[in-house]
Amino acid sequence: MLESLDPRVNRLGLPDSFGSPFGSSSLDQFETYEAFVMTKPGKPFEHVGIVHAPNEEMAWLFSKEQYTRRGMIYCALCVIKTENVKVSAVTDNDLDVYTTIEGEYSGQEKDSFEVFHLIKRGKQHKHSGSVMAADFEDAMRSANQSIERPKTVYNVWIAKTEDIFSSDEEDADIWDTLKEKKYRDAIDYKAADKIKAFKEEQA
Amino acid sequence: MYGGGNTFEAMKATALVDEDPIKLAEFEARIERGEKIEPSDWMPQLYRKQLIRMIEQHAHSEIIGALPEGTWITRAPGFKRKLALMAKVQDEVGHAQLLYGAAETLGKSREDMIQDLINGKSKYSNIFNYPAFTWADSCFISWLVDAGAIVNQVANSKGSYGPYCRALERICAEESFHLKYGHHCVIHLATGTKKQREMMQAAVNRWWAPMMHFFGPSDKISVHSEILMKWKVKMASNDECRQQFLDMYVPKIWELGLTIPDDKLMKNEATGQWEYTEPDWDEFKRVINGDGPCNKERLAVRRKAEERGRWVREALLAPKAKYVTPLA
Repeated sequence: MLESLDPRVNRLGLPDSFGSPFGSSSLDQFETYEAFVMTKPGKPFEHVGIVHAPNEEMAWLFSKEQYTRRGMIYCALCVIKTENVKVSAVTDNDLDVYTTIEGEYSGQEKDSFEVFHLIKRGKQHKHSGSVMAADFEDAMRSANQSIERPKTVYNVWIAKTEDIFSSDEEDADIWDTLKEKKYRDAIDYKAADKIKAFKEEQA
Repeated sequence: MYGGGNTFEAMKATALVDEDPIKLAEFEARIERGEKIEPSDWMPQLYRKQLIRMIEQHAHSEIIGALPEGTWITRAPGFKRKLALMAKVQDEVGHAQLLYGAAETLGKSREDMIQDLINGKSKYSNIFNYPAFTWADSCFISWLVDAGAIVNQVANSKGSYGPYCRALERICAEESFHLKYGHHCVIHLATGTKKQREMMQAAVNRWWAPMMHFFGPSDKISVHSEILMKWKVKMASNDECRQQFLDMYVPKIWELGLTIPDDKLMKNEATGQWEYTEPDWDEFKRVINGDGPCNKERLAVRRKAEERGRWVREALLAPKAKYVTPLA
């Protein structure tokens, strides 16, 4: 199987014969982090995409640049290293992925885990709750018991709470857009009057 | 912006022979239902390959496309134009990041994509192999090349691959500023002094042929693939995109008193189709294969950026290394 520094590539289980060779000796690509944003206070974090970064602080900064640009108003951002996200099986045809798991929740409260659900194909994962459990499999069983699921869940991502790097609430002013940056918005460019005046002048 | 005229690999007659027919039928049924394909889903190798190719080309076009406009930031007329152009170029590089991220989900690493760009194996939008001589060229790109790219991107955002569609939705949201900004710049020149008008007209004359090439070879001669349409990899044919662009923008160019250097250009009211002189596809092929005015320069800039950035990446990969003041 092909090996890559990008865990998402490894999960695909591509045969060696596929495409260009990975893991060349000069590989200097950074690891990937998954970025999640909160659109309004109290709303759950939702996945927006990935960034490549050398560490979680840089990943957070790159994510802010990449995913919270003008016109996209958010109030919180967090990142998780891709390899620290445990991914469940993917189901289909209205089959809830929790129905496919086996075993019972151990009841142990060793670690805290955050659980993200995918409830619509084509959309992105949303934070659904936190659980205490012994390990990732156990966290899945715990989530099955304790997190309410109004809709079918097709895929679950689980990460340890301690592996999440998030913005601080006290730094909320970083999300304010400066007034003098209007030149970055379409609305700042009005043209109709000028075209009209030009046409009248030509007529 | 910038995603236009993708080149696809010619189909091999045997391309689908090795695929599992049951999985293939399920895959096609999913697309037929309008559902998105996600990275973890089964997909035919051909689908994977063509999508990597298309998204990668799109990403390369964003970073290479930032070059002709980027050179005009310091020389843009006035502080406000400089700020706006800087914001736009920054957007384009951000779009490349989003697109590389989407292509990576298909199994090709970002580093390999950058490598293939530098060594010439992967293509990017052919229009950026032409130089931006004057400020008016930069204005043409901001308005009309972006407009052409939006035509393509809006079509592709309805395609079948989830991560690509999501990246395109984010990109299209930012494009509205580019289009308005570019239009504003062109209006300013076209309705300005005689000299400004002449400069804008000269830019239109220079860029019209590359703009017609932008959407890719005519459907009559391009590698036509029904299966890519069926799988919603390609959402509209090259000619359909070109027609849509002409329909939306030729009247807007004409209303500014600018002319287009093509005597045959007119809308056939009976068919609703635009008629035009067939673009020179030999020139298109020649330039895309490396013999354009700026091919070498564009790749040299990329190569230099890659080399100059190496020490930064290496330094960042060793976060525990500490700076020690030299002893002597």
